[in-house]
Amino acid sequence: MASGDKGSGIPSRSFSFTFLPRHLSAVNTLHLLSTLGLFALIWFLLTGHEWQSWLIGAPVAVMAAWSTLQLRSSAEGRLNLSGLLKFLPYFIRESVLGGIDVASRVMRPKMRIAPGFLTYRMRLTQPPARRLFVNSLSLLPGTLTADLDGASVYIHALDRHLDLSDELRRLEQMVSAVYGESL
Amino acid sequence: MLDLLALILVFSGIVFFFFGAIGLLRLPDLHSRLHALTKADNLGLGLVIVGVALLHASLLVGLKLLLIWLLALLGSAASAHLISQYALRRRRQ
Repeated sequence: MASGDKGSGIPSRSFSFTFLPRHLSAVNTLHLLSTLGLFALIWFLLTGHEWQSWLIGAPVAVMAAWSTLQLRSSAEGRLNLSGLLKFLPYFIRESVLGGIDVASRVMRPKMRIAPGFLTYRMRLTQPPARRLFVNSLSLLPGTLTADLDGASVYIHALDRHLDLSDELRRLEQMVSAVYGESL
Repeated sequence: MLDLLALILVFSGIVFFFFGAIGLLRLPDLHSRLHALTKADNLGLGLVIVGVALLHASLLVGLKLLLIWLLALLGSAASAHLISQYALRRRRQ
């Protein structure tokens, strides 16, 4: 390394033409190995016991891990396991309710809908937490992410007369726990 | 017994796909239709996948199906978002 000055904010090396220069110190070994392990697991799940497939799979997993670490922003936090374990049952229950809700609304002879838009300001700051929030929002009962502008989410509601603010705050709380972010 | 449970799950999954299709046809506007597609179809796919995983009773196949479900969730949430964003921004112009 030319500068040898870790974490000083000076890019130590440029990797390519299109990607921003990264700090090598920002990528620790544990993170690299867990990312690599994740892609290797995905390849294994897709191909099963075909060992020859690793001829292609191993380089692809390395390249996928490399580009993931290149593209992730250095400000992104880590997943919090207990938060994730609480989020999963909540997410599954809400997906089931969401499916039943929309099915029961459209199957009535006279549909029980009053579509409309509302805006919600996210308190989440981390980009991956925001991504999880807006994507889960689309799977929850009655809400759909329509547009995004910074911290403001423009939400389409199937029934605009329902008060959704409690539900939205609850989802935001669950998402913040997944990324260990306090609101 | 397990096979029967699996069949019930797969069948109810198909029913939710059917509800999603009905919603797509009956709902009045683009954004409401996306509701039917994202929610009913995700639940339908989830039920089908749990049913098929029970029939296979293999961890490898189960995890592969879970991966498929997660990718489909991500795909449907992202494409619904892109479609609704495009529609809104074009309307504003």
